[in-house]
Amino acid sequence: MRAGLSRREFVTALSVALLGSACGPSFDPRRFHVPRASAVGLFPAGSYAVDFADLIFRGFQELDISLTGRRVFLKPNMVEYELDTAINTHPRVVAGAAIACRRAGASEVLVGEGPGHRRDMEYLLTSTGLSDQLREQRIRFVDLNHDDVAIVPLQSWFTGLKELALPVSLLDSDFVISLPKLKTHHWAGITCSMKNLFGTVPGAVYGWPKNPLHVHGISNSILDLTATIRPHFAIVDAVTGMEGDGPIMGRPRFLGFIAMGSDPVAVDATCARVIGLDPEKIDYLKPAAEFLGNIDARRIEQRGESPARYAARFDVVSDLEHLRLSR
Amino acid sequence: MALLVLRRDADSTYLEMATNPTVSGRDPLATGAALSRLCTGLRNALLAARNQDGGWGYAPGRHSRIEPTCWAELALGHSQGRPPDVDSIRRWKHQDDWLLDVPGTPPNIAFNALAALTLLQEPSAIAFAQPVVARVIQVKGLSFRQTAALGQDNSIQAWSWVEGTASWVEPTAWCLILLKRVRSQSPSQEAAERIRVGEQFLFDRVCHEGGWNYGNPEVYGQKLWPYVPTTAVALLAMQDHREHSAVKQSLQQLQKDVASERSVVAVALTIMCLRTYGVATEVLEQTAMERAASAEPGNLLATAMMLYALTDTRQRSAFAL
Repeated sequence: MRAGLSRREFVTALSVALLGSACGPSFDPRRFHVPRASAVGLFPAGSYAVDFADLIFRGFQELDISLTGRRVFLKPNMVEYELDTAINTHPRVVAGAAIACRRAGASEVLVGEGPGHRRDMEYLLTSTGLSDQLREQRIRFVDLNHDDVAIVPLQSWFTGLKELALPVSLLDSDFVISLPKLKTHHWAGITCSMKNLFGTVPGAVYGWPKNPLHVHGISNSILDLTATIRPHFAIVDAVTGMEGDGPIMGRPRFLGFIAMGSDPVAVDATCARVIGLDPEKIDYLKPAAEFLGNIDARRIEQRGESPARYAARFDVVSDLEHLRLSR
Repeated sequence: MALLVLRRDADSTYLEMATNPTVSGRDPLATGAALSRLCTGLRNALLAARNQDGGWGYAPGRHSRIEPTCWAELALGHSQGRPPDVDSIRRWKHQDDWLLDVPGTPPNIAFNALAALTLLQEPSAIAFAQPVVARVIQVKGLSFRQTAALGQDNSIQAWSWVEGTASWVEPTAWCLILLKRVRSQSPSQEAAERIRVGEQFLFDRVCHEGGWNYGNPEVYGQKLWPYVPTTAVALLAMQDHREHSAVKQSLQQLQKDVASERSVVAVALTIMCLRTYGVATEVLEQTAMERAASAEPGNLLATAMMLYALTDTRQRSAFAL
């Protein structure tokens, strides 16, 4: 074990290595294509009072996204509600994204989430105010924890699992947008558009907090979910992020932007750099760069504002200090 | 007062809020009439959403699943003063004595315990519950090494949601209720030991101010919040320890927290729990009616739980020990 390798890093690396040696490769490179360059846009949003529909629609235009005739599935991050915290994707960002999708030509927009902590979706929808926003815009919401499911083969095998039951509402859509809140995460380092996909795993099938995924490794699960769901786009609520003991008990921290892009790996890598974490050191981002997307800053084409404008040093739990970016 | 009424459109049947100008506030007779109409609406909504295979999905038109089917049958039976119709549960697809919620996925241990509790309500179906009881006695959650991050005893192996994962509060509570319900009829050393471990787990996971989070009371030194539905189910499982300080504290915490609770499921479970502890629930029932009226339509689990909670309080609860 190299110096400085934490027990968690070591166990994760070992499990990936063991899977690789015992069960063959963790993905089939013929099924994936990492683009030569990925565009990521950072668009200023000074508060939650801005017109997010307009901002996100302009982002779609900037990034050449057309949703004409598409059935769009928006996956926000909703975990828990506590007043004056920054746990969830802000409901105004969710509603704004839905309106922007319609403006961009979507034939249908559906919002869905399956919280890993709160089983009680009704509580989260009403307490966060999201149900009011969705009702006002006549947007349907699906509780992914309790949706019908279909069993799908996984497209990578970092967990060692071959298949997973996933919600039919997600599978029936033809354009999936991951819509996370940018937060530090006390196990995974950062939770953004890739980790957000944990919420697609149905709790009524696998229990809470999607425990089999934890048993097979959080990073492994993030990789398999991203490889299988292949979100088409990411819109990150980084107006106010969370630092410290995220994803629930951390502190809100203002950043002031919305990040967008078609490559979720590049979006997450950019967001990690903004908050002072090194994508190369995040357990799931480094292997993701081998088959899912770009983390190398030289292969990420920035649109909108420069990441340097928002650069911050987010607090992390002491176990994760080694993830810091060397500036 | 707002009431839930059954509506139908081209695609679905659903509950919708309607205003009844003839019923006012807390007049007992008016409230009784409103309650009766609400329950009729809930019953009709459930009956309309029943699938051809006799079960219920979590929403109308969705595939039948164990949990909403059990709650719907319990509620329909309870509201009509009869045992639940358990035919669809008896015929449920099973493997290795577990009922399978979704074929090809791991059995959900908590929902199997709920299914066995439902079967126990129908005298002719008790034998069908026995294989599930036997599996519940055998199965254990994983144990883990102690970590400084989690302020809890990771060695206690109670019950997990699915096999091969960590023990959790809700599945442990449902399995405890089941084993405590059957222990007088079929006492066994193994069942007694599993009950002991399950109780040890719940006592270990009590939040600092009482009540239960979904799993951990503390992470990285930060105290986690208790949740209303989790606390209500855990208290049902610990109703035979009502003099224990942690149970008393949790009961107080539940009564405090439910005041700001918005969810129909949480309020319904709390009513069931408080009744079991002999706590008056009239005010909460009024709240429940208001919550039910403003709830999102199409949540069949919430519909069934609310019907169960609001009807015929003279009957013995399926969860009373």
